[in-house]
Amino acid sequence: MLKNHLKLSLRNLWKNRLLSSLNLLGLSIGIGSVLTLLFSVYAYYSADVKIEDQGNIYFFKTITTGGDSYRESPYPLMDKIVETSPQVIAATHLHGWGNMWLEQGEKELQERTDYVDAEFFEVFSLPLKYGDTESALEKKYSIILTDRVSQKLFGNKNPVGAKLIGADSLNLTVTGVFEPISPYSSFRLGVIMPNDILKDNSNFVSQANWGNSFSPSYFRVRAGTDLAQLENHVNQLAQNNYVDPTIIAGMKAVPYSESRMDAIPVVKIIINGCIAASFFVLLIVLVNLLNLNTSTMFRRTKDITVRKILGGSKKNVIAQFCIENGILVLISIVISGVLFLGFLLPAMNNIFGADFGKIAFSFENDYVVILAAIALGVLMTLVVGVLPTLRFISVPISIGIKGKIENIKSNFFLKNSFIIMQFAIAILFICVAIILNSQIGFMKNADVGFNRENVIVGNIDLDYKDIETANFNFEALLDDLNANPYVENISTSESIPSDYYFNYTTYHDPNTGRDVRFRRSYTDVGYLKTLQIPIMSGRDFDENMDSSEDNPVIINRSAMEAFGWTSIEGKRLKFKNHDSEGYPIVGVMEDFHYQDLQNSVEPLVHFYKKKEDLAIHRYLSVRVMEGQEKSIHDMIVSAFAKIDSRRNYEQAYLSEKVSGQYRLIEGMLTTVNVVALLTIFISCLGMFGLISFMAKRRIKEIGIRKVLGAGVLKIVVLLSKDYIILVGIATLIAFPAAWYLMNAWLGSFAYSISIQWWMFALGGLIAFLIVSLTLSIQAVKSASVNPVKSLRTE
Amino acid sequence: MLLQLNNIFKWVQQGGQRIFLLKDINLEVEEGEFISIMGPSGSGKSTLLNVMGMLDTFDEGEYSFLDEPVHQLKEKHRANLYKQYIGFVFQAYHLIDELTVYENLEMPLLYKKISGSERKAMVADMLDRFNIVGKKDLFPAQLSGGQQQLVGVARALIGKPKLILADEPTGNLNSKQGEEIMELFKQLNEEGVTIIQVTHSEKNAEYGKRIINLLDGRMV
Repeated sequence: MLKNHLKLSLRNLWKNRLLSSLNLLGLSIGIGSVLTLLFSVYAYYSADVKIEDQGNIYFFKTITTGGDSYRESPYPLMDKIVETSPQVIAATHLHGWGNMWLEQGEKELQERTDYVDAEFFEVFSLPLKYGDTESALEKKYSIILTDRVSQKLFGNKNPVGAKLIGADSLNLTVTGVFEPISPYSSFRLGVIMPNDILKDNSNFVSQANWGNSFSPSYFRVRAGTDLAQLENHVNQLAQNNYVDPTIIAGMKAVPYSESRMDAIPVVKIIINGCIAASFFVLLIVLVNLLNLNTSTMFRRTKDITVRKILGGSKKNVIAQFCIENGILVLISIVISGVLFLGFLLPAMNNIFGADFGKIAFSFENDYVVILAAIALGVLMTLVVGVLPTLRFISVPISIGIKGKIENIKSNFFLKNSFIIMQFAIAILFICVAIILNSQIGFMKNADVGFNRENVIVGNIDLDYKDIETANFNFEALLDDLNANPYVENISTSESIPSDYYFNYTTYHDPNTGRDVRFRRSYTDVGYLKTLQIPIMSGRDFDENMDSSEDNPVIINRSAMEAFGWTSIEGKRLKFKNHDSEGYPIVGVMEDFHYQDLQNSVEPLVHFYKKKEDLAIHRYLSVRVMEGQEKSIHDMIVSAFAKIDSRRNYEQAYLSEKVSGQYRLIEGMLTTVNVVALLTIFISCLGMFGLISFMAKRRIKEIGIRKVLGAGVLKIVVLLSKDYIILVGIATLIAFPAAWYLMNAWLGSFAYSISIQWWMFALGGLIAFLIVSLTLSIQAVKSASVNPVKSLRTE
Repeated sequence: MLLQLNNIFKWVQQGGQRIFLLKDINLEVEEGEFISIMGPSGSGKSTLLNVMGMLDTFDEGEYSFLDEPVHQLKEKHRANLYKQYIGFVFQAYHLIDELTVYENLEMPLLYKKISGSERKAMVADMLDRFNIVGKKDLFPAQLSGGQQQLVGVARALIGKPKLILADEPTGNLNSKQGEEIMELFKQLNEEGVTIIQVTHSEKNAEYGKRIINLLDGRMV
């Protein structure tokens, strides 16, 4: 029996080659995309699964009076909390203090370095591949490597007990290696070391006080702890101990499980978007298969009836359909697997890898995904195999045998709502893509307040082995550059637009009593000239004057407005509750977008540092005459080749750096584009099948109308009209939904486009064009049939 | 007695009126009979055949088949009954296009859960008897109409039914092919199979031992 079913299924599929391949195509691409989207969701949710009892791990976020929040707190806060709170079982800092260079024989590398406390493993149950969590952090000069770093230094060997030289001076012993950590984990680790090591670092000791917030710390609390009370307590500690408690509005306990969404808020949108998109794609694929299956039923009713006469039961007939669809689904799962591994996953890694890390699929760890795909396949098979059959199987034999499906009642409402839903989703995605596209275009091409063209930026933060020689050589390079006729301006700076540190200081105006929170950075004299940022009032830095004055600063227009000043005459940047004179403000620059347009231009202050100061400046920016970038690049590279450093000089265009800020959101756009294309494509496949079915059902009607004188065009309109109306209804659902969604989304941008009517019109037009094209192919075909033929068939 | 119809009525409602498809049909069929049902289009020939084959229901009256009261049986029982005892032959053959001649013949046996070796023997036997061994791997579309109907008859016979119901078995065939099928029926009848056929053709009706004439759903 089974053999017979299989044989019949294969022959049926082959006979309807066109429909089968449409089905296969839609299914494969659909399942492949769903697989990719859901795999990233799965990777996200499974990344931290090894950390036990996450519900009782918290960190405290500082909420400032200015409305900002951050998870860093002053170093001593943790100990204070532990001492005074019996609810806390274990606690650890997890903070960096410059990444340490590590030497092992010939090999030398620098990886992200975090410092933790002895109770680290009691807070986070991160498993070790080698070593023992009990003792790994016992000794002061211990170092625990991530699997990745261990591979780099020691290959596949167990390195526990091996020695490393840290920062040219520390004798470190490897005490453990972590199990591989997923790139989607909240842990972005390289190596970790005990905080005790930092206690020998005078710089650290001088900063580890109540005045500097740089250290995030994590707490494991007893189950059932009253969090509100703990929050209050911590808040009290902060108020009592902080150097300047006035800026603290509150301390908020955040569960560790929200750590990732807290760190990158857009993650939440991406993950929810992935789930929603997979759900919709799946729905569309399913509906589509249902529609296409229904369309083949015309021919099938007679088959089903003959089988019933020959003694086949309903079960037999349903089994036949399930097997037929099962074959399709199974093949498409295999194809989608190939698509997923060979194309979609690498593509997704390309899009999101730079921001979230690249994930890989391995059969031993991720077999759940395969099982889920198969379970999904079985479910789909049952749905699409059983549902359409049920409708046709109960057709009375005497009707079925004549193949008169005109008499078969179809649930018109149900089928229509399917189509409306499919197209509503597809049009929604198209509109979202159009609006997102406009927003990105707007952000990329907006006037950023500086001239991004023809500026090359090089990374000069190269970890020089001898900073004095480096400074000397660098000065020579700067002289050469200045003398070069192709160079218009040069500048060195700590930051460039797109890469300003999140380095904030709050200043105070005693006259107005206002506090303003500033971003701060160091630049040289040429910065504003090189980037062509206009000066609003006052002056630019001056090499001769500013080395003598004490710390002159230039602020931006927003800063001036935030203080409510009309002129900077005689103004100084002062600290609150501080006796110092403050910094003299020598100039005001126009606002420029030093970060992307998702964020507003916050008050900014530039401090002056000499051009050749390599200890501070991280970037060399050169405004070059167009077309001469190559020769300047070569000149700089050969100069840096002579300077002994641990990193290599790298160079890019400023315009690229500025555009690069939108990489993630562009990645999202790419994904939305693909999903939009996919949904409209699959929906059209289904519609193509349905209209073929309709045309066959109405073949006699078409014949009669033609005999009575209707032209091809009239028939095409007749056949297509209903569907066009359905798509019209779909747009009515999709437009407000798209507007609502995108309006909310655009609200999260500091600078956004306003949604225009033409964006929806364009989305609708695209959908209508694609739909009409699909419809007319089949409609014209049916309308062109010679009526003599179609009427004779009866 | 093979089957007995007593006061069978069948109607449809149309515009508030009853339109009778079958009206007071009384019929007894003995085993070994060969009956031809005749009448103009719309006289209820096919409906009567379908009622006898249990493919269609009726609204009033009694029908017993091999002493089983069909009108009282559940659909499943009815299906079992006709599966076991009745073979159908159609005007349009109704072979399954995706199956070869061999597989088409095998199909009813599959539904009867007959073992593989037995099926093989029965199909081989049937192919032999109808002289279509050479055609067993061909698909219906590759055969002429007459050959297709031959396969149709073979398929109806393979389950060893007591009764064959044929709805215009020669309607789609030319006269020579039709004659061959009728000769086959005659021969089968001589071997003991009961046959009831619907036909338009006087000539074909003559093959039957008894002729029933219908007009507007009534026997005349």
